[in-house]
Amino acid sequence: MSAKTESRGLVRRLFEAPSLEEMAPAPKIATYVVLGLWTLVVLFPLYWVLVTSFKFEVEVDSGPYYIPFVDFKPTLDAWNFMLLQNNTIGPYLNSVVVALSSTVLALLIGSLAAYALVRIRFQVKIAAILTFLALLVAVIVAVAAFAVPWPVAAAVAIALFLIALSTYVRRFKAAAGNNDIEFWMISNRIMPPIVAVLPIYVMFQHLRLLDTQIALISTYTGVNLPIVVWLTRDFFAGIPLDLEESAEIDGASKFRVFFTIALPLVRSGIAATFMLVLILSWNEFLLALFLTEAKAQTMPVLVAAQNTTRGPQWWYMSVLIVIMIAPVIVIAAFLQKHIARGLLVGAVKG
Amino acid sequence: MTLVQSASAEAPAREAWDEWTDRNAGRLMVLPAVIILLCFAIFPLIVSVYLSVCRFALAAGGFKLTFIGLYNYKRLLVGTQQYHFLGTMKPLETSEWIALGVYAAVVLYLLGRYVMTRFTVLGMIGRLISTALATGIVLVALATMPKGAYEGTLLTTVFYVLVGVAAQFAIGLGLALLCAQPIVGRDFFRVIFFIPLMVTPVGVAYMFRMLADMQKGPFAPLGAALGLGVWSWATQAWSARLMVLVGDTWQWTPFMFIVLLAAVENQPRDQLEAARLDGASGFQIFRDITWPAIAPIAATVVLIRLIEAFKIVDIPNVLTAGGPGLATESLTLHSFIAWRTQDLGGSAAIGYLLLFVSTITCVSFFNYVVRWTRRHQ
Amino acid sequence: MRVRLENIHKSFGPVEVVKGLDLEVGDGEFLVLLGASGSGKTTALRMIAGLEKVTSGRIRIGDRDVTDVLPKYRDVAMVFQSYALYPHMTVFANIAYPLTVRGRTKAEVEAAVKDVVRQVQLEMLLDRYPRQLSGGQRQRVALARAMIRRPAAFLMDEPLSNLDAKLRGYMRAELKHMQHKLGITTIYVTHDQIEAMTLAHRVALIEKGVLQQLDEPANIYNAPANLFVAGFIGSPPMNFFEGDLAEGRFSAPAGSFDTKKRVTRREAVAGVRPEDCKLTEPGSGKIVGEVYATELIGDHALVTCRVDGGTVTVKADKAFDRQDGAAIGVNFADAAIHLFDKASGERIA
Repeated sequence: MSAKTESRGLVRRLFEAPSLEEMAPAPKIATYVVLGLWTLVVLFPLYWVLVTSFKFEVEVDSGPYYIPFVDFKPTLDAWNFMLLQNNTIGPYLNSVVVALSSTVLALLIGSLAAYALVRIRFQVKIAAILTFLALLVAVIVAVAAFAVPWPVAAAVAIALFLIALSTYVRRFKAAAGNNDIEFWMISNRIMPPIVAVLPIYVMFQHLRLLDTQIALISTYTGVNLPIVVWLTRDFFAGIPLDLEESAEIDGASKFRVFFTIALPLVRSGIAATFMLVLILSWNEFLLALFLTEAKAQTMPVLVAAQNTTRGPQWWYMSVLIVIMIAPVIVIAAFLQKHIARGLLVGAVKG
Repeated sequence: MTLVQSASAEAPAREAWDEWTDRNAGRLMVLPAVIILLCFAIFPLIVSVYLSVCRFALAAGGFKLTFIGLYNYKRLLVGTQQYHFLGTMKPLETSEWIALGVYAAVVLYLLGRYVMTRFTVLGMIGRLISTALATGIVLVALATMPKGAYEGTLLTTVFYVLVGVAAQFAIGLGLALLCAQPIVGRDFFRVIFFIPLMVTPVGVAYMFRMLADMQKGPFAPLGAALGLGVWSWATQAWSARLMVLVGDTWQWTPFMFIVLLAAVENQPRDQLEAARLDGASGFQIFRDITWPAIAPIAATVVLIRLIEAFKIVDIPNVLTAGGPGLATESLTLHSFIAWRTQDLGGSAAIGYLLLFVSTITCVSFFNYVVRWTRRHQ
Repeated sequence: MRVRLENIHKSFGPVEVVKGLDLEVGDGEFLVLLGASGSGKTTALRMIAGLEKVTSGRIRIGDRDVTDVLPKYRDVAMVFQSYALYPHMTVFANIAYPLTVRGRTKAEVEAAVKDVVRQVQLEMLLDRYPRQLSGGQRQRVALARAMIRRPAAFLMDEPLSNLDAKLRGYMRAELKHMQHKLGITTIYVTHDQIEAMTLAHRVALIEKGVLQQLDEPANIYNAPANLFVAGFIGSPPMNFFEGDLAEGRFSAPAGSFDTKKRVTRREAVAGVRPEDCKLTEPGSGKIVGEVYATELIGDHALVTCRVDGGTVTVKADKAFDRQDGAAIGVNFADAAIHLFDKASGERIA
């Protein structure tokens, strides 16, 4: 009898929260166990990569060694080779330049567009859009199938388009508004890059820009633009209109309002978007694989290329992965809260 | 004298320019984005259509495109490439017929309910399109189930998308709920859990190849103890697919986690406190307060992940190179391999079919799930 | 400078919010646009600023037609209800903004800011950010930012309504003083009649997008042009009786009395302000009724009396202590009676 009440009391103490602000001991322990396990799941692979980068080939091949100095003697051999003898610096710089430039460009172009779409009313005639698309198709067919030089085809198409704008397009009323334009911009993200990459490849080939940073920068800008528009539009929509109107009366142009009032006010959202887009460009593999060879090669391609005929050289590869992750982790650790908040705003309204 | 004159002539010109840019500021602001998207989305899309109806051949001084109509698509759906795209299909057996019957019953019930309650022509057309795609995929899936049949890249991709996104969502939500509890070290877990998102997918793939190495990897002793010494996950279709999924889930769970955590922390405080005072259990609080509050956000993150998940390529490419056989090959990888073999038309056709499937799936999800959760706020 | 609105119309889709507004504001005048929310007064102000396009009509500032001119070229300054201070800029940068966007030199800007902050007593706060300021200080920053350019006109959209009552009274006096000193044409939007009466040279009372009366505050109070104005101005509002006017004698259910106007009009309305009424013994008043409620306000009491056909509010001596339900008479001078035509609402002259 007394033992029974005693055990009930124990269960109670384990499972009942002492106050509204605290957790009961048992769930609390379970929570820490689960979170601890996932911490292991996250960190162990990274630890293994880090450790492997300090190993000799033999130590990798002859079975698992876990702890440096205890299990095996760490060496800087792989680091030495990758950083000093192998051409790693080139792709690394390429990655830095491409990721940073394309992120800045995407942010600039995307946030300008998002701002305009939030604040200024647009009416684009459906007839004009359809005409434009028809002419674009015509140009592509003319160039591809009938070997018309593309500048000629483009000039004719632009002329026809201008004529169309001033004639029959005026008669149609149906128009796409801000929401339609926004939806179109964002929906471009659905397109798998593999669909777009061949024509982009051909385009850069014609422009003699294959295997250049410019090709990658502009492509990444295009691919990431929808994300920027999607995220930043809600930040801008959250600014009180008074501020911008006041600036306008004070004598600022719309561009000036954007750069001196709107942009600084959403800087934390911009930081989050910047981080996200930077990560995406920094890690992008498929497009880089298509558009670069040796000169403009980026890090993900270099990492993938370590899979030699002798099998993957884990120790070299690990060095590359470590130097790729390290800077992003440092930046992201600082911006992590901003990223969450930024994504939240986008997700609520997007 | 002349100096003064030129200055005064210049000022109005500048002012006129300022005024013109200001009056057209909206268009000028949107224009760069439109041009970029035209160059990198619309133009490639149109050219890809053209490529997908052509045969590509290298010729003297370049290449030659021959118009061949829908042949590339025909090949993939009913022709020589069918085994690759859809899979090797066999006649249905009893269990598959039963599954098909259940599927048909559910679909007919849902459609019937829609017709009876809030029927619109446009809504019906949309539902029929979604149903057609789902039915097609279910049929192919069932036909590739009997012995001796194999799944193609379409099913592999759908598998990655459905199972992967579901797993990432479930784990992400679970971790977010735990992390939102009043515990010590929340910020620590938050930062740690975020890290995998930043690792390049190629790196993730190599990392898991290293870890999963049953001879030299860190789990080799464990495998040996369990008597799995000679077993290799890469030689079996399902274990290889599972490995790809593990890598993908490791990478993308943080995305779900971080947004859902922000959403959970953002839920109305007063409601939570009121529910606790009323003595609601943890599960009741989740069901009645937390879930309704975060459902729209949850639906939106799932949508974002759906969009991205269809593009999966880096991890299977590096981890398994699509093998064993075709077992882990995703559609993007399939298209990439076709491109490498100079089959540009086929590559474009696969890309288009992928675009078709992913667009219908994502739009359907948006219309039936995301909108629905928002309506119920 | 003069500001003129000529037959201004404004529609948002099918809804017409301003219906043919004609208004002329003299150079240096302080004009208050008074009206309830949704009356179209703020829309009118925003059209003058250029933030809204007019549907039809012309706007002139000075001799210039500014109807299609961009806000920044109109040479007006606006103070918003929210103050619209730029939160990421210091007080100095906020005040200097109108000059910096116009590309003035640093020395010019600094001199101008120095001059203007002395007038609004903000010298000590130049390095603060708006979030570190009190409501009154923010208000003054907004004023300083408007003043620094010496614009052709000030436009103010309920600038005092976010302040607490005490500060509002103080800022009102400050504003009036400043406007007088600077002599800049000011158009001020408010829904608060006390602000309108105390600040304005002239008040323009707007309702449903139509100008009801444009006159000096005293005239608006003493001779309301129509029933709406009579009911809007004055607190507590004017008492109204509906009845017939026959050769100057007004008969209503509550009682009948002579007026000074020798006119006949069926269906008329007579109005008397509470402060013009006196409570008397039941027999001697123009109107009889009974005490319904008594509210002591402080220096006076408001007595609501029930009369036949409605209630009458009387501003009475604070010593008034009659029981509720007691019979009472209400009296007022003939000159205090305002007469209106019921159908048109116009004042009977």
